[in-house]
Amino acid sequence: MTFSLIGRCARTGRLGLGITTFSLAVGGRCEGVAANVGVCKTQAFPNRTNDPLGIKLMAEGYLPARVMAMFAANDTEHDFRQIAIMDREGRIAAHTGGGCRGWAGHKDGADCVAFGNGLVGPQVLDGMLQGFLARPDDALEHRLMRAIEGGRDAGGQGTPDAHRPERSAAIKVVDRLDYPEVDVRVDVHPTAVAELRRVLEEFKLYEAFYRGRGQDPGKAIPQDEFAKQLEARRRA
Amino acid sequence: MTFTLLARCPRTGQVGIGIATYSICVGLYCNGLRGNVGATMTQAFVNQGNNPLGLRLLAKGFTPAHVLGELQANDPHHEYRQIAVIDRNGRLAAYSGPKNRGWAGHVSGEGYVAMGNMLAGPPVVEAMARAYEASAPLSLERRLLAAIEGGRDAGGQVGNDGHVPERSAAVIVYGDYDHAELDLRVDLHDTAVEALRRAFEEYELYRGYYRERGRNPRAAIPQYEFVAQLQASREAAQ
Repeated sequence: MTFSLIGRCARTGRLGLGITTFSLAVGGRCEGVAANVGVCKTQAFPNRTNDPLGIKLMAEGYLPARVMAMFAANDTEHDFRQIAIMDREGRIAAHTGGGCRGWAGHKDGADCVAFGNGLVGPQVLDGMLQGFLARPDDALEHRLMRAIEGGRDAGGQGTPDAHRPERSAAIKVVDRLDYPEVDVRVDVHPTAVAELRRVLEEFKLYEAFYRGRGQDPGKAIPQDEFAKQLEARRRA
Repeated sequence: MTFTLLARCPRTGQVGIGIATYSICVGLYCNGLRGNVGATMTQAFVNQGNNPLGLRLLAKGFTPAHVLGELQANDPHHEYRQIAVIDRNGRLAAYSGPKNRGWAGHVSGEGYVAMGNMLAGPPVVEAMARAYEASAPLSLERRLLAAIEGGRDAGGQVGNDGHVPERSAAVIVYGDYDHAELDLRVDLHDTAVEALRRAFEEYELYRGYYRERGRNPRAAIPQYEFVAQLQASREAAQ
């Protein structure tokens, strides 16, 4: 059981993934996000080699639909996987194998695919799409955060009589460079989505400081000083 | 301010990093590991282009010493960086630029580099190295955890007003595959090293289950059943 959304910012070309699940440390199993190439995520009963392979195939020039066909041909247990793929132009392919457990499905919207399994029902995907599409001009990481919050608020994982908590969550966003621009994680937590919101908000306060410090070290103030300034601004 | 142990396991050939720092979300910057290629990390004032470039240079066949030279020659601010590079044979090179702040330095041994900046002093990196060497029979991830715990216990990081806490930490290991074998993080916490240890010990209970579930879905029990079994065996052990 997991619910995820892969998305693209049409304005900037940034690509990203928002994910949360009952499993621990899900962010450590999300290798399929590559700037200027695409996003590929395999979940449910994941085949860990799919995502790096999908990125390589898209980088060669294959369409998401063709990548999906090759996944099917390359994997005897394809029917147990749930996969969403999007390339840098926003073309998509999605697959929810018949072997996925509980309520499972996928649904696409403008520049995104929401997909999940072990969910309380299709309303979770609708909640994710609404969250993602609510403010299309916002930065992609905020849209992904709202997507997973939307899925959680629509009931999330489990069955109508047995809700399963989100125990890990992650957001990953790439821009033009070959390292992620945003990569925030919660690996073991009883309310991982709320905790991820806290981490993301805090990270956004430090993001420019960290980037500037690396690019122009001579001008950087010490971080404990920066943290004090932040604290003072919070109090004010 | 950060303390890190970067290593190649001589037994398994795995490469890994254990890292803890005052900065939040440090795992974001640990993208310099690849199975059968090597490991590299740039910290202090980070040049985020270094790790991907360093890995590509290692993959082309350059030695760690040459890769380090290239990373320096390619960066007008390299004196602010702290860099370690290890190849798949365990050869290594390391550099603590003269413009790192506070006490900064590194020590190295067979296939590993312990390095840090704005530390309480040389005992921090020495304690990391000792903990890594002393845990040789354990898995690489446990040795990396032992190293950062050793660094923490030897005084860790020091800012303008004395000791500063570890607010984020990570342990990441790559083996034969394109995906990580372990990639575990604590991004924002008051005692991140302790939280990482707790997360690791919990995750360790699930690792085999997660791996097998993907490989052999038909035989997999539902995860909440697995959790109930875990709970039962914990209670039985008490």
